[in-house]
Amino acid sequence: MMWLTWRQHRRQVLVTGAALLVLAALMVPTGLMTRNAYADKGLAECVGVLTSAQSTPDRAEACNRALHQFSDQFGSLSMLGVLFLVLPLVVGLFWGAPLVAREVEQGTHRFAWTQGVSRRRWALVKFGFVAVVTTVVAVVYGLGMSWWAAPLTQAAEQSRFDVFFFDMQGAVPIGYTLFAVALGVCAGVFWPRMMSAMAVTLGGFVGLRIVLTVLARPHYLPQETRTFPIAGATADLSASFGDWIVEKGIRDASGTMVLSGAQANCPPDASEPGGATCRPLVEFGDGAYNWQLYQPADRFWLFQAIETGIFVALAALLLYLAARRIRRVA
Amino acid sequence: MDIALEAVQLGKRYGRRWALQGCSFRLPAGGIVGLVGPNGAGKSTLLHLAVGLLRPDAGDVRVFGRSPYDDPAVLPDIGFVAQDTPLYRDFTAAELVQLGGRMNARWDAALARERLGQLGIPPKLPVGKLSGGQRAQVALALALAKRPRLLLLDEPVASLDPLARREFLQSLMGSVTDSGTTVLLSSHLLADLERACDHLLVLRASRVRLAGAVDDLVATHRQLVGPRHDGEPIAGVGAVVRARHTERQSTLLARVDGVVDPDWTVHDVTLEDVILAYLGDGETDTTRTDWEVPA
Repeated sequence: MMWLTWRQHRRQVLVTGAALLVLAALMVPTGLMTRNAYADKGLAECVGVLTSAQSTPDRAEACNRALHQFSDQFGSLSMLGVLFLVLPLVVGLFWGAPLVAREVEQGTHRFAWTQGVSRRRWALVKFGFVAVVTTVVAVVYGLGMSWWAAPLTQAAEQSRFDVFFFDMQGAVPIGYTLFAVALGVCAGVFWPRMMSAMAVTLGGFVGLRIVLTVLARPHYLPQETRTFPIAGATADLSASFGDWIVEKGIRDASGTMVLSGAQANCPPDASEPGGATCRPLVEFGDGAYNWQLYQPADRFWLFQAIETGIFVALAALLLYLAARRIRRVA
Repeated sequence: MDIALEAVQLGKRYGRRWALQGCSFRLPAGGIVGLVGPNGAGKSTLLHLAVGLLRPDAGDVRVFGRSPYDDPAVLPDIGFVAQDTPLYRDFTAAELVQLGGRMNARWDAALARERLGQLGIPPKLPVGKLSGGQRAQVALALALAKRPRLLLLDEPVASLDPLARREFLQSLMGSVTDSGTTVLLSSHLLADLERACDHLLVLRASRVRLAGAVDDLVATHRQLVGPRHDGEPIAGVGAVVRARHTERQSTLLARVDGVVDPDWTVHDVTLEDVILAYLGDGETDTTRTDWEVPA
């Protein structure tokens, strides 16, 4: 069985390997470039300065300028990252969906399943092979992306939690890829036509990703609340650097939300340069404060693990269903 | 006698349509059995049930006493060539022989190589580039290399020209007579079946219409020509299979079981006559109503 599997898929393996090399040829030089620039400008230190409460305004100012300059120069590169959002889907479409669907469409299942190997064993070896290959591919591009995206995320003062940045790096691409492949395989078993299997994979993958990202991810763990005064908010705003701010707003003294989706910042002495009282304090009244609902930055890997776990579990379930159902395919 | 293939009230349904229904027969081991029927009669369905690709929805099918769907252990005893002889088109014939060795515990690679060599099949060319006839030969060689006790062939000659068809059937007959393999071969080319088969199984509209040894079928059926006949029993006639009438004369194809009433002129029939009589027997009423035309 292993011989057949390798013989059938070796060209696909080679093409996949070549595609990874092409990607590497694109990502490694750009990655090195951004990392070098990041190191040369001393930005890693800068980020430390900005997040610590004791930084002097001058130092912070200089750092901010340097970071913005870096972001302007390399920020557009993060568009490349979008490529990596669709990569799991592409793997699912081309590795998962045809696995059973193409056999049935070309009638070769009638040849393969009437040799001396039971259909269940055929399915186990095939599914196992595809799972291993796609995991390797996903590990390579998932971790590669973490390496590549790190300076860009930090310099953009973005949280690694941000949609897109969270989704394209770390462990989650492995979960997404395995899920997409399993969905493709399963769709091919239930609707054994290439086009229908690919369509189901496309729709199912995009649909579930959106639903989970929007509805489930913010609630994997209980969200934490942070409140801080408007006057002298700089330090608190820096402290939230890297956190995933799920919701924010300004509440008045009674706790009623007066402006959602915004934060206000006034100098510690609450006065404008001209001597007048800082505007937000006038506008929102005495005792108004900033309010945030957030997931702390250090939960990044925990969230990665949770999301990966969900998708890997779904993938396992789909493969199990496919292995059960394959005996009914004719 | 050993029973190679047995069906008991076997049925298979696709949605609400029965592709095969109430199908019962026994095929003794040894010999070549022809499976005849018009397109859509359920021939492929029957073969797929027999090789365990499909699960019966009713009744039971057994190969050497074992159910092929539930018991994959019987697979090594069955050789199967599906319709249009599907093979991995990017594999070469040599690779397919190698593949068979990997996927079958009992595998006679030498037999396959010898056959393919004799037939002049290029070993290093992807089989997708071979002609339909050559591909059918590759598929047959692979099925034979399993040294199966039951060989199921689904329209193996449909894509072949008459010469290739004859060669294919001859080589088939040559290779199974010695080994004692039972062959079930579906086709709608009656002449080929007459040449190759010992037994016949006639399917029409998802049911078995006729089963028996070719010699018996020819021996027990006659064409009778006589006065206009309105269905009353005739001495010596077991059953009228098909009747055609003119104003004053009737032509019957009938199964005879004794000396026929001398009012009737008796003619011998060919196997083809018998098969056509059974295939033409009656009309399917459902399609007529579906098309809203009077029956």
